[in-house]
Amino acid sequence: MTTLEVRNLSKTFHKLRAVDNVSFTLTPGRTVALVGESGSGKSTVARMIARLVRPTSGEILLTSSDGEPVPRKAYRDHVQMIFQDPFASLNPFHTVEHHLVRPLRLHGRSRAEVPHLLERVSLPPDFAHRRPHELSGGQRQRVAIARALAPGAKVIIADEPVSMLDVSIRLGVLKLLARLQREENLAVLYITHDLATARHFSDEVLVMHRGRIVEHGPSDEVLTRPEAPYTRQLAAAAPDPDARFRQGGQP
Amino acid sequence: MTNLSPLTEVAPEVPRSRNRWRGLLPRWSPKLGTGLGLAGAIVLFGLIGPLVTGDPATIRDFGLTPPGGEHLLGTTVTGQDILAQLAHATRGSLQIGLLVGIMATVLSGVFGIVGAYAGGVVDEIFSLFSNVMLVIPGLPLVIVIAGFVPPDQRGTGTISLVLAITGWAAAARVLRAQTLSLRNRDYVAAARVSGEKTWRVICVEILPNLLPILASQFVFAVVLAILSEAGLSFLGLGAANSSTLGTMLYYAQNGFALQRDAWWWFVPPGLIIALFGGALALINFSIDEIINPKLRDRARRARDVVAVETDTAAAEQDAVLTVKNLNVVYQADTPVHAVKDVSLTLRRGEILGLAGESGCGKTTLAYAINRLHRPPAEVTSGSVTFHDRDGEDVDVLALAPEELRAFRWVKLSMVFQGAMNALNPVTPIRAQLQDVLRTHRPGMPASDREKRCAEVLRLVGVDPARLGSFPHELSGGMRQRVMIAMALLLDPQVMIMDEPTTALDVLVQREILNEIKRLRDELSFAVVFITHDLPLLLELSDRIAVMRDGEVVEYADAEEMYLRPQHPYTRELLASFPGLNDDRGALIR
Repeated sequence: MTTLEVRNLSKTFHKLRAVDNVSFTLTPGRTVALVGESGSGKSTVARMIARLVRPTSGEILLTSSDGEPVPRKAYRDHVQMIFQDPFASLNPFHTVEHHLVRPLRLHGRSRAEVPHLLERVSLPPDFAHRRPHELSGGQRQRVAIARALAPGAKVIIADEPVSMLDVSIRLGVLKLLARLQREENLAVLYITHDLATARHFSDEVLVMHRGRIVEHGPSDEVLTRPEAPYTRQLAAAAPDPDARFRQGGQP
Repeated sequence: MTNLSPLTEVAPEVPRSRNRWRGLLPRWSPKLGTGLGLAGAIVLFGLIGPLVTGDPATIRDFGLTPPGGEHLLGTTVTGQDILAQLAHATRGSLQIGLLVGIMATVLSGVFGIVGAYAGGVVDEIFSLFSNVMLVIPGLPLVIVIAGFVPPDQRGTGTISLVLAITGWAAAARVLRAQTLSLRNRDYVAAARVSGEKTWRVICVEILPNLLPILASQFVFAVVLAILSEAGLSFLGLGAANSSTLGTMLYYAQNGFALQRDAWWWFVPPGLIIALFGGALALINFSIDEIINPKLRDRARRARDVVAVETDTAAAEQDAVLTVKNLNVVYQADTPVHAVKDVSLTLRRGEILGLAGESGCGKTTLAYAINRLHRPPAEVTSGSVTFHDRDGEDVDVLALAPEELRAFRWVKLSMVFQGAMNALNPVTPIRAQLQDVLRTHRPGMPASDREKRCAEVLRLVGVDPARLGSFPHELSGGMRQRVMIAMALLLDPQVMIMDEPTTALDVLVQREILNEIKRLRDELSFAVVFITHDLPLLLELSDRIAVMRDGEVVEYADAEEMYLRPQHPYTRELLASFPGLNDDRGALIR
């Protein structure tokens, strides 16, 4: 199983310290949530791990199940990313099949696996011939998840995977991710600004503010009993009808 | 392991097309038909004509015969058959056009696409080069270059090369701009993450999405080449050993065709140039429609709407806005019934929440209330009645354009979705706020305007010193506050807010919500608050309407809806938001 360790990762854009000395470890079978507002640097962390952005300093270490470091060339066999906007992350020109066959081929697998991949994300096999505009947002995001699984990745970076979806289908996509994570023993980094889903779908939480990790720990503890002032502010700001209608009442 | 429940979500209904290219083809229209027909006829003439018309160079002893008889289009001063000349010249011009089109497109592709994708120094150099080529005036350069080449070496190839070199730069700029936008798309990033090589990313992921633009640039290059070549030849600088429409005109000029009233000598080649240029322009219009689908509905837009039977509704006590049985239909090829029989009442000082997911019709409804809907959207029946403070009822759907202008923003204002990006980036906040006052209160003295602008900014919690600021100097939350201030300027009785906090962070959203509540209490206007975030509405609003597929499925007090949701869809929506303090694990397994 693959473990990804991030050590003292920093990124500076034109003197702005977007990510400042961030360290954490992703281990198989566990989901780590990275929580913060826009501009906090969480997407930059994702893009550095996906090797789309070069870190200014710090290390990203990938260790395979036999304890050996993964060679640079094989990095993308192990680490894949799910993007935020399913309407932008699929090429409108190509079929679903194209989106899955390319990563399969590039990582030495056969195109015969396409139906199986679709099945794993609960899509019927005939979706392979559809093009993105024929799919709904949730179905697109499932295709994007299948694409991330195609190279046989064991570490998945999910950058706000449901924030662009309709609320009634968000839960379905998150449950799918949780199921895949359990079944395939994936290491998942779940990036979100939504504290509630962070708590429900992750084992550990990192709270990021202005490029730094201000609080981290088991998700239940951090999010129900926040210590850092910033985390408290975040928790208090989320809309909470309970507070309005059941003040002082029973839970 | 339990499998997932079947997807409840409905995919957009699109006619299935197996053919991936079909989406790229222009839609059939009279414009396209005319263009293709004309261009096709001219190309056919250029291809087949020379085979059937005989030798254009044959000299006969009866010069300048008018059309008719043996020579359909007459003869030149030396007795050459004009129809034969025209056929050969058309072929020559088309050849040059095609050659230049291909070369110019390849050049612009290399400099535009590759440069933009590579970025950095390569892009700098490539785009500097394109810019230099762009500012050199084309025709004079062509004349200079063509003048340098000795006439005996001035063949079709040389002339085409010269025209291509001077004609690619503008297209490269367009392609560069488009590629810069495409290379930052997530699907390009996704291809890189999956390990694609750079050339494959360009050829497989980016290039197909540029095809319509490339096609349009190609067509444009062909037209330009044929015209420039005609110009060059007319000046005597064209291809020496070939005949084109330009050389025909050149000889007609030298043979004093105009002075001798031999119109049949110079009109046909001129006409073919004009028709071919026109035909390709028509084809380009249709290609533009693929690039910019907005152009497709042009024809429909001309029609105005508002054909509604109005029965001004009996007002509920204290109501400020009554919507009754409102229906809005998008008159597309298959009409879409976006708002179905919606009836709502907004009381004075009330916050009415309108909840629903994307495509449920909530924004269409808001636009129709304000008469901002544009064709193909059409209000097919129903009424919107505004009950003015002074007791007068206004039938909004029946207002004449001038009355509508006086009504909007004064009585009923709107904060649009993503409104904070709707501020004009090049003018300071002051000018944009004052514009509203200048339009609606033309008589207001300047000092009062300034005072009012400062006052509304203060109301929304922005320092009036920021009046001189430009939008980019304000944070997203501040810009949204400015938009709310703008909606407050004329002291409206109703404010419609369409997803006003969706693009904002939770902390900023919290501030804005508190601000809205406070302003409502202070100024007692009524708010229609539209969002997909039901918990937010439960906390904020007095009453809530839940919309699905154009219908209001549940309409109740917020507390009632929270404690006893009636409709299954409302329950589903409520269940899809896990609360921060709910039991963990209940959702997952």
